[in-house]
Amino acid sequence: MKQRAPLQSACKSFEEDLVLYYYGETDEVEQRRVQQHLSQCVSCQGFLDDLRRWLPQIAKSEPMAPAFWDDYYRETVTKLARQEERKHWWRALLAPRPMWMVPAFGTVGVAILVVGLLFGKGNLSSFIQRPAERIPQEILADENQLQFFESMDLLESLGKLEKQDDPSTDSTSSQSIRVRMQQDIV
Amino acid sequence: MKARNTVAGIFGLFLLLSSQGLMAASDNWRNLTPPEKDKVLQNYQRWEKLPPQDKEHLRDEWNRWQRLPKDERERIKQRYDRQRRDRRDDSR
Repeated sequence: MKQRAPLQSACKSFEEDLVLYYYGETDEVEQRRVQQHLSQCVSCQGFLDDLRRWLPQIAKSEPMAPAFWDDYYRETVTKLARQEERKHWWRALLAPRPMWMVPAFGTVGVAILVVGLLFGKGNLSSFIQRPAERIPQEILADENQLQFFESMDLLESLGKLEKQDDPSTDSTSSQSIRVRMQQDIV
Repeated sequence: MKARNTVAGIFGLFLLLSSQGLMAASDNWRNLTPPEKDKVLQNYQRWEKLPPQDKEHLRDEWNRWQRLPKDERERIKQRYDRQRRDRRDDSR
């Protein structure tokens, strides 16, 4: 690899002025003073030549098409906004909310769930017109209790029914047959 | 912040569980036919007016009924239904 030659040394008191002179940032008096020195000093001339040779290469940038610069600002802003949005969408969800919102949304959510499930089963009429309001919830929720109330009539005559285990002693039935026969005759 | 989220979570869970209980209750009730519903309602109203000893007797009978063998229960049930039908026919 070819090694780069170091800059030629210049007079210490002119080094800084020569750099400013190269960039054209000196006033007229200073410029004249530097030019006068350069006409007499070979090492400072060499230093300035080195600056002219090397500095353009260091600061050299890739030329971009003019169309790139036309939309440069707008595109950068759009990209930054998009990136910001992607980075923080979940933060918006977890952002602190007013205290009343949590139970309020919870209640509304559960109410929607319950109504949805009830209406979804297509049995709205039986839900609305229910005489069950006069029966406590603990009985309605317990299938055993419902069965108990459903078969309460049977339970009241369970003893009698058990005694009639023999079909021949089924007096009620035979009585009703007798009554029916009499009606037929009449 | 953490405490607030915990309280909100517990509250939400409570609402969900209570709605589940309500759903179970309405499901049991809805599975009954309209005549069965009427019967339950009438018997419940009658039950409320019964003296405590009658209530206890009925509870005992219910326990005994549940302990009976299935075929015997079915036989008794059939006999009960037949007698009821006959009684209805007789009253017409």
